Order: sequence, then structure tokens, then C-alpha cells
Amino acid sequence: MMVTILDVVIAGLLLGGIYALIAMGLSLQYGVARVLNISHGEFIMVGAFLTWMLYTVFGINPLLCLVIVGPVVFIIGFILHKTLFTRLRISSTSSGAFESRSLLATFGLLFIIQNIALIAWGAEIRGYAYLNISVNLGGALFGANRLVTLGFAIAIGLAFYIFLARTRMGKAIRAAAQDPATAGLMGVNINQVLALCFGFGASMAGIAGLLLSMCYPINAAMGLEYTIIAIIVVVLGGLGSIPGSFIGGFILGLVGSIVTYFEPGLALVSYYVIFMILLLVRPTGILGK
Amino acid sequence: MDITTFTSKRFLVPGLIILILLVLLATLPLYAPAYTVILMASILMYIVLTVSWVIFSGPTGYISLASAAFFGVGIYTAAILGGELPLLIVVGIGGLASFCLALLVGALTLRLKGIYFAIFTFGLVMLLRYLVLWWEIKYTLTRGRFVIVVDNNTIYYVMLGIFVVLLITAYFIRRSKFGLALQSIGENEEAAAHTGINVTMVKVITFAISAFFMGTAGAIMATRWTYIDPYIAFNPLFSFMPVLMAIFGGMGQLYGPVIGAAIFSYLEEILLTEFPYYYMLIFGVIMVVAILYMPNGLVGLIQKWRKGDLGEKHANT
Amino acid sequence: MTKKLIFSLIVLTLVALVALPLCSACAPAAPAKDKIVVGMSRPLSGPMALIGDSAFRPVYETFVAEVNADGGIYVAEYGKKLPIELLIYDDKGDVGTMTRLTEKLILEDKVDFLWPACGTAFIFGQAPIANKYNYILLTAEGGATTIRDILPGLPYVFVSLSFSDWYQLPVLADLLAEKGARTAYIMYIADLHGIEYSGVAGIEFPKRGIEIVGIKSVPPDIKDLSPILKEAKASNADVFCAFAYPDQILPATGQSIEIGYNPKVWLGGPGVNFGFYHAAFGPATEGIMGFTTFSRKTSPTANELADKLYAGKPEEVQDWWGHPLYWAGLEFWKAAIEEAGTLDQAVIRDIMATSTFDTILGPTWFVSGLMAKECHTGEIGQWQSGVFEVVGPKDKATAEFIYPKPAWPAP
Repeated sequence: MMVTILDVVIAGLLLGGIYALIAMGLSLQYGVARVLNISHGEFIMVGAFLTWMLYTVFGINPLLCLVIVGPVVFIIGFILHKTLFTRLRISSTSSGAFESRSLLATFGLLFIIQNIALIAWGAEIRGYAYLNISVNLGGALFGANRLVTLGFAIAIGLAFYIFLARTRMGKAIRAAAQDPATAGLMGVNINQVLALCFGFGASMAGIAGLLLSMCYPINAAMGLEYTIIAIIVVVLGGLGSIPGSFIGGFILGLVGSIVTYFEPGLALVSYYVIFMILLLVRPTGILGK
Repeated sequence: MDITTFTSKRFLVPGLIILILLVLLATLPLYAPAYTVILMASILMYIVLTVSWVIFSGPTGYISLASAAFFGVGIYTAAILGGELPLLIVVGIGGLASFCLALLVGALTLRLKGIYFAIFTFGLVMLLRYLVLWWEIKYTLTRGRFVIVVDNNTIYYVMLGIFVVLLITAYFIRRSKFGLALQSIGENEEAAAHTGINVTMVKVITFAISAFFMGTAGAIMATRWTYIDPYIAFNPLFSFMPVLMAIFGGMGQLYGPVIGAAIFSYLEEILLTEFPYYYMLIFGVIMVVAILYMPNGLVGLIQKWRKGDLGEKHANT
Repeated sequence: MTKKLIFSLIVLTLVALVALPLCSACAPAAPAKDKIVVGMSRPLSGPMALIGDSAFRPVYETFVAEVNADGGIYVAEYGKKLPIELLIYDDKGDVGTMTRLTEKLILEDKVDFLWPACGTAFIFGQAPIANKYNYILLTAEGGATTIRDILPGLPYVFVSLSFSDWYQLPVLADLLAEKGARTAYIMYIADLHGIEYSGVAGIEFPKRGIEIVGIKSVPPDIKDLSPILKEAKASNADVFCAFAYPDQILPATGQSIEIGYNPKVWLGGPGVNFGFYHAAFGPATEGIMGFTTFSRKTSPTANELADKLYAGKPEEVQDWWGHPLYWAGLEFWKAAIEEAGTLDQAVIRDIMATSTFDTILGPTWFVSGLMAKECHTGEIGQWQSGVFEVVGPKDKATAEFIYPKPAWPAP
């Protein structure tokens, strides 16, 4: 019995860690840059495919790919914001208009990125086995790859949290999130900060994709599914809050794992029930203002 | 110039154009090839979804992503009742079922604003999708259902009928006190409540009316698809498409979403058939470019052009 | 003035929208027959693309290239060989779009033949349409007991793929019973495929004295299968069946290795039979079972086809279950056209329904719309030293069935 409980709880945390990681990037993009990035999952997909390619073709250790995938996806995100979203922001009359226009633009990006991936990597399902050795945690067995994933998710979350709290750039980002106009007056180069934020968000998605590809099969159309989960977690935890992403992710992971144990058919139903009830009770998320 | 001639002039030209268009559309199956009728039915479906979305979300600014849920409820109504009742009654029931669901959801989500409302309504789509799937697998021991097949021209006419009724409804909502109340809710909800508008009632009723039309569209469209399952019926694409089409067309005028949806869905058809391997790429690029260069949609473009025209005249005088 | 201009602009747009499809329909009349146009609505993008691109697509592409390299299909009516021209549309993996594009192919493009859309649900949507316009529809990806039930009303529809009780699970149950398996645990996807296979297993297994000790359905989008795998492990069943798709089969395999779940039989649905399965798991696939049609050792013609489809390509593209059946179906279709000497659908349909032609499977024929199970060159496969061998039925096996499955290799 104890082992079963341990099993279910750890499985939930492992899943929750991945959810938290994919949500963090979106939380940053929406919380600071005000872009509800529907193409978030496409960056996850790109990260996953880059890793798969580096591992199966060049034999580079997936975890080492971090130093390649992270920066590459960051640059894509940064450039996209510099060219596309900055322009949209400047030409929009209100923040509301910017939000709806950027939402639409990310929809376009979803289509573009997915089609390029289809051309580059094909539509077929891909997978590889890495670190699927069993680890015994108090009698409950888990794959090492999934534990590594959780560890990385927490490490990245912590690192970023400290970055936001302690560094000059982090403070600029927080200022921009709260009040872009004032932050601009205070000498913060707002366009630069927002582009960096978007880039960081994309980079986190890419790294999430890297970690996902170690545990789950990947394909070019996988993105939207993860975007939806990311949106749920972000809203659950509160927009723009990194601890919130973790709380939201773990709640979703645990609920999913518990329900899967009893009635797998209702696992996804439970995601939405929990999420909708929470929204009704606390309309701004668990850690929202 | 007296007022009567002014108003009659004002209504004569657009009225005449609308009449000609309606006659053209109504007689389409008589002169157009069979496939054109099928394609038009599907374009009308997108127009119906988009215009009904705009009825609620346009003036209030509440972005609803529940369209796929209401559309799906209509689809399932047709799948369950299709063989048992006459087609028009099935379509009506599909609309009513969506209407009731919207009343319930509308009443529940009153507290939610902005992005939270959008995400909640999207959650509804996914919840229904997985719940129906679970139910079908567990209790009906199947995943999908066959839908009774209906003649293509009948589908077209029913869709055209829904479209016309919807346009009339949308027009009168815009013109009525009700529409004004909606508008003021969109501008400032609290102020609207202070002026004595029953904000709750107005919002929920409009939401339900918009859902009604989506439900009817789903019920009639299901008969074209022959076979449906929860993933086909509750497809998130039908939540996003109306939003995209409405923004693309521009929401300031009633004709905006109509043209937006028509052009968008026709463009999709061309891309899927002419450039099947690059459909998403081209579609995506067009979307991004449209967003960059048409901030207020097609309507905005037309209005800008019109203003420029006026400005030119002033410059000349 | 400006208002009038705006309205005329709108009217023009709308009229253009109505008129454009008209114009495309009044294209110049077709010149004398010099090719066979085959139309298809395929999921080139969207969630179904991963199935379509690994299943039927490589087969039809190779087949068309081969036929055209030979000059085409000889049609007596025209006294010459006509090459095949493909007209492919993208249906985004959406049934609504697929049904519409199918009617476009038939009504507007007036294609000579229709080749199938991808997926069982899509066949359900497409088959009645094809039949309504008297177009032959020889299906590829997808096949199910439910399709067999509607076939009598659809004389123009022919199903090439093998499925649960046609004739996979009876063969599987025989194999298992012979080796003395007593208990089974079934995980199935909440889908037509899963319901059907678990349902048929629920009939065939107990018939041979194999008790089903646990059965769980999983929804298609679920990520973590370990709770179910742990329950299966605790049940101690001899046989574990995962009647699901690659999206579940791949993680289920990985997670079974992680938790050290090594039943005597580990059998998976579509996914195990693909080369990418071996590419992903390598030696860990040893002893894993799935559904198949042939291996290279089945016959010289089988080996030849494997060369045609896979030589010089990455292992990922291989599919030992569907590819041979789709190929045989296309060969059969070509033979029927040559026999008919015309492109008349009704004539060809009658020939397809009643004749036997030689394909890579050997003599091949259809029984009330289904490819006869006697034509299948195998049903149950097992990975052995990196080859997906046929192990059942026994008279068609290319290797001995290994029971119990060996332990997972040490990492």
C-alpha cells in the first residue's frame, strides 16, 4: 500500500515537473511580454527534434545538447520578438489590441514552424532510448531519465528565479512586467528587455522539448497539445509567477497520476475539471494577484 | 433634402446589393457545379460560426473559445437524433442544446474576465471532448457514430437559411437597446451596471443566442461528415478559427466578419488543394503579414482607404 | 460616393468568391486520354500525418514510380499504356475537410480513380461517399470489424488491411495457448482500435483457457502509463497486451523497461511493427510481439518488395504489417484494370470482387470486400535479433516463437 501511494505520488511529481517547465516559458512570455504564445509548443517540438537529431545522427549526449539547443532556440525567439512582436507592439493602439494581434501572429507562427519541421524532419513519429534504467525510490521504481528531467526542471526554475530576484537584468524584467511605461522612463530599454524575455521563454520551451524527447516519442504535430497544457498550468498557478508554474504543474501532475491509477479514461477529464473549478473559485490563479 | 429620401437612398443601395446577393446564393444549386454548392456550404458554415462569435465577443470584448463546444454539441445532437426526427427539428434541437449549455456556462463564468474567461471556455471544449470520449467508450462501447446522410443541396439550403436568420438577428441586436447595452458593457462593465442595465442577463442571453447558431451549424454540418467521434466533433480548431476570421475581417462592421470568414475559408481551400505540401507555411505567412499590415482587419483597411479618399477630396478643394 | 464605392468593392469580392469556383470548373475539356489520374485526400499536415507518412505514403510513391517507369498501366480500350498521375490534397487530418475534398476530387476534378484517406474513422467518412458516386475505394490504413459490418451496403469498397479477428487474434490465442500461457492483462486505447481488439481478445483468449485478469482503457492523449504498467506487473499475468498506437506503444515500452516489467509475452499494437520501434529501442526489442504480414524470409517476392521499399533508406521507414498488404492491394487494382481493359469503375469493381490475381502475397482475392485471410502471409510477429519475424500462424512462420520473452538487456 505504502509503495502504491509512493508510486502514484512520485509519478505525479515527475509529470508535474515537465508540466512546470513547459509552463514557465509561457508564463514569462505572457506575464512580461504580453504575448499569449500559441506557438509555444512548436518551440518545444523544435527543441525535441534538434536533440533527437544531435543524438541519433551525431551521437551527442542529449543532456549535453542543452548547450546547443538552449541558445539556438533563444536566438530564434529573440529575433522573432525583435522583428515581429516589437513592431506589433509599437503599431498597436492599446495593450488589448496588442494582445489579440500577437495571439493571431503566434497562430501564424505555429503554422509556419510546423510546416518547416514537416519539411525538415518529416511527419513520422521519432523516439530514442536514453537513460531508461530503473531507479528504486523506497520500493517504487522509476526511470532515471524521468528523474533527471524533474531535476533539470527544478534547477532551471530555481536558476531563473534567482536571476529575476538578484540581477540587474532580472529587476528590469520585473519592472517591465509591472509597468512597461514607467520602466521605460526609468531608463530600461524596454524593447530589449521584452525581446530577451521572449527569447528566454522560447529557450525554456526548447529545453523542455529536449527533456521530453528523452521520455516520450516526438513528432512534428506534437506542439499544440503541450501549449494547451502550458496554458492550463500558467493560469492555474498565476500568470508570470515561476513558483506558480511549479505549483500548477505539480497539482496537475498529481491529479493526473491519482486519477490514472483509478480510472485512466478520466485522467484528462480531471485536468479540466480541476482547472475549471479552480478558475471559478480563484479567478486569478493560485498565486495570482 | 428631406429625411425620407435621404434614408431611402441610404438603404436602397446596400439593400439592393444584399437582395441581389441573396438571390444569387439562393439559386446557386441551379446554375453552379455540384462541388461549388458543397464548398459554399462549408464557407457559409465558417461565416455562421464567425458572425455568431462576433455577436457576443465583438461588443463585449470577452474572447470566447467555446465555439467548438457549441458546434460539437450540435454535431452530437445530429448524430444521436439524426435518424429519428425530421432534419429541421434536429437542427433546431442542436441549437437549443447549445443554447442551454451556454446559459449554464454563461451563468458560471460571470466572475471571469479577460484571458481567464478565454481559457475557461477553451477548457469547456476539451472537457466535453474527453468526457464524451470516456462515456462512449465506457457505456456505448464505441468511439464514434454514423450520422444520417443528407442531400448536399439540402445541407446548403439549411446552412443558407441559418446564415440569413443569423444576419438578421445580428443586425437587430446591433440596432436595438440590447446592442447598446452590450456595447456599454464592453466599454465599462461597472458603469453599465450603474446605469441600470441588467449586465448579467444581457451577457448570458447574448452568449446563448450566439451559441444557438453555432449549434445549428454543427447539427447540419454533421450530416455532411457521415461519421463523427469526440475528437472530430470537439476540435479546438473550431474555437480558434472564428476568432482568427473575425480579427482578419475586422469587427467594427457587420460585413467585416462575413468577408473575413469567406476569404479565409476560401483561401484555405485553395491552399489545401493547390499547395498541399506548403499549406501551413503559406497560410501562416499570410496570417502574420495580414496582422502586421492590417491592424484593424479588412474593415480597417477599407475604412482607411475611405478616409484617405475623403482626405484627398479635402485637399483638392 | 465613397460608400457606394465600398459597397461595390464588397460586392465584387463576394461575387468573385461565388464566381471563382465556377471558373475553375469551366476549365477546358480534357484532352484525349493519356494518363490515369488518381486522386487522394491525405493528412499531409496535422495529427494524422505521422500515420499517413509512415504507412501508405511510401507504398504509393514507390508503386507509382515503378508503374510509370514501366510506361504505365495497359488499358485495352485506349490500346496503350497510361501512366498514373497523382492528384493529392491535404485534409489536415480533419474528417470534414476530407469529405469535402473527396467530393471535389470526384465532382470537380473528375479523377479516374480514388485512393484512400488515412485512418479508420476517415474510411467511415469516405466509404459512403465513394460508393454513392460508384467510385472504387480500396482502403489502406484502417480496417475494423465495424467496417466489415457496413461493407455489404458498400459494394465499391475493398479493405486490404488485416485486423483483429481477420485473422490476428485467433492466431495469437492459439500460439499463446500452445505455450501454456494462462493469464493476460490488457491495456487498450480508448478508440475504435482499442475497443475492437480488447473485445475480440475477450472472446478468443478465454476460448483457449487464457483468463483475462485485468483490463484498462487509456485515453489517446495520456502521457504517463506507468500506473497501468505497475498494475499489470502486480497482476502477474503471463501475457501483456497493449492494443494502442505508436504514441502509447513507445512510452509503454520505455516505461516497462524502467520499472523492470518483463512478462512472458509483451505484445503491442501498431507501432511494434515499424522499423522506428527497433531504431528507438535496439536490442531491448528482443522477444517483443506485434502484428505483421511478412518478413524478408517469407518468399523471394517478399524480399524483393522489402528491397524496393527499404533499400538505402533509414530503418525507421519499415513497416512489416501494412506495407505488404497495401502493395498487394495496388498490384491487385492494377491487374484488375488490365483485365478489364477499360477505366469503367463498375466493370473493374466486378472483376475485383470475383477474380484472383497474383500479387507479392501469392494468389490474392477478396471475400465480400475484405482481402481473404488465406492470402495473408503472416499475422503475428516477434522481434528476434533485430528482425521482425513472422511467428504465427505456424505454417507461415519464418522463425520459432520465443516463449517466454527474454529479460530486458542490462543497460
